Amino acid sequence: MADRILAQYEHEDALAAAVHRLRAKGYRALDAYLPFPAVEVEDALIGPALTAPSRLPYLCFVFGVLAEGTAYALQWLLNGYLYPLVVGGRPPHFPLAFVPITFEMGVLFASFAAVIGVLWRGRLVRLTDDVQGTPGFESATRDRFWLEISAADPAFDPDRTRADLAETGALRIELPEVGP
Amino acid sequence: MSEPLLIGRPSDAALGDKLLGTTWRAGGTGWRIAFAITGALTGLLIALVTYTVVTGIGVWGNNIPVGWAFAIINFVWWIGIGHAGTFISAILYLFEQRWRTSINRFAEGMTLCAVLQAALFPALHLGRPWFAYWLFPYPSVMEVWPQTKSALPWDAAAVSTYFTVSLLFWYLGLIPDLASLRDSAPTRRRRAIYGLLALGWNGKATTWRHYKAVYLVLAGLATPLVLSVHSIVSSDFATALVPGWHSTIFPPYFVAGAIFSGFAMVLTLVIPARRVFRLHDVITTKHLENCAKLILVTGWVVAYGYITEWFLDWYSGDPAEMYQAFVARPSGPNNAVFFLAMICNVAVPQILWWTRARRNVWILWFVAVLINVGMWSERMMIIAQSLQRDFLPSQWGDYSPTWVDIGILAGTIGFFTLLFLTFLRLLPFISLSEMREMTHELVKHDRRTPAHGERHDG
Repeated sequence: MADRILAQYEHEDALAAAVHRLRAKGYRALDAYLPFPAVEVEDALIGPALTAPSRLPYLCFVFGVLAEGTAYALQWLLNGYLYPLVVGGRPPHFPLAFVPITFEMGVLFASFAAVIGVLWRGRLVRLTDDVQGTPGFESATRDRFWLEISAADPAFDPDRTRADLAETGALRIELPEVGP
Repeated sequence: MSEPLLIGRPSDAALGDKLLGTTWRAGGTGWRIAFAITGALTGLLIALVTYTVVTGIGVWGNNIPVGWAFAIINFVWWIGIGHAGTFISAILYLFEQRWRTSINRFAEGMTLCAVLQAALFPALHLGRPWFAYWLFPYPSVMEVWPQTKSALPWDAAAVSTYFTVSLLFWYLGLIPDLASLRDSAPTRRRRAIYGLLALGWNGKATTWRHYKAVYLVLAGLATPLVLSVHSIVSSDFATALVPGWHSTIFPPYFVAGAIFSGFAMVLTLVIPARRVFRLHDVITTKHLENCAKLILVTGWVVAYGYITEWFLDWYSGDPAEMYQAFVARPSGPNNAVFFLAMICNVAVPQILWWTRARRNVWILWFVAVLINVGMWSERMMIIAQSLQRDFLPSQWGDYSPTWVDIGILAGTIGFFTLLFLTFLRLLPFISLSEMREMTHELVKHDRRTPAHGERHDG
């Protein structure tokens, strides 16, 4: 029993057109596999019932601000409290001199959040997944565009969905078997 | 007049073979010679660093009053070279400059290799590099904490952040191309290695959406970061009182110099690489010309920095500052670096006003090499020449590097080139997914305006 159906298209416009037609037929759990982020496909996929814009930038912001607060507090702790030393006429707690490190740590941890966020949301750092190994699927990172309909879709029915996909001009249609 | 950014309209598969093929096409004798030379220089670097650490930095030419010399000059020079990579990949991305697409990965690789060289020097300069970790606030039982009001811990934070963020940015950009390599690699071993590095990327549209959002955030973070790094490096000097160092013009002046020298290094590397890999249709005259124009702009900012410094030295009325600027630099010891800096950084780039010079790869390459020399000389002028002529004549001294200093500089150039050649051989150095995106956009643009198709894509 396959938990998804995959269809291959020649170019991004064909895939985007297919997405529009399938949505008109009531399909909702659609996704695509693309060799580059084609705008047409994204525009076709984005919608209230489908995927929302990424919220990862907010995560980066929160991490950045937390790191800045921590960096400032640490500098105050070390130089203003634990080891107060007047250097170059600057008092032990001197906010202006604490700005560079505060800024750098904000950038550093916001960047960590950005990269870890995309790995987490994209479920990356794995050896393989359910779609790798589907016949012909290696073309998804080269020159072909793949559409995915999840079996969780209310409109999903293996035979009918296959027929619907064939109507949209798919080059090939695959039902990958779920591996052990 | 609009030169094309891409000559021809290759299919996705052809583009993939062309750009990924650089990693599996066999290298010839030329490559072996290049690896042998750079490997030998890297060996020299390792030997001389070992000699320095075992014996102590007395083997360098540093003395009192010139306590900061080659190590700091090389540090500032290398880290400045890195700046163009971030400028191309982050700032030009935010400004939606399409011509960055085929050279950004290349320039980011250059940044990483250059920052690695730079990071070597502050640690060596400590004299006892095994205490370098004292710069960071680790839980110390000595209760002597890093002094974060000094510019030196700022430097440690800025440079380590810069390297880490550049690495993340570069690697994130590589992931889709590594997946592409995994799926088209000719041998099983390569498929396994690139597959591991690709982290399981499959190009899912929802992942691409997060990816693009995050890439934009990283570009936005890297932009102020790159401006901050050389500003903080310049604070090492500007917060000191030495005549020739104590100046508020330093942060923008250093940042402009950094981007200027970085673009020169990009051209120094991209012109031979384009020839060796026959990438003239992807890295076109337009790319080289745009780099040349940015060299001209940043070169003028650097020249403006020199003029402002001279004006402020005169306007301050401070005898030590005036002596430094108008007597010690042009006629004191090591004045050759002053003239080299003026000729290579101010006079030579002016040839780039001529379109013909910007389009001639030979002229461009020689100008770029001279700018590298000029910018190194400028760092020497600022750092060593200023220390030679302090406030009191009784403190004055002279400086000359030893063979160890020169060997370490040559060694880092070799090590930098070795790392960069390795990057060129093992990884796709032109971003394939971004090139595909651009090619598809250009094809659509051609379709909308069939009459001008080939020409109007800039």
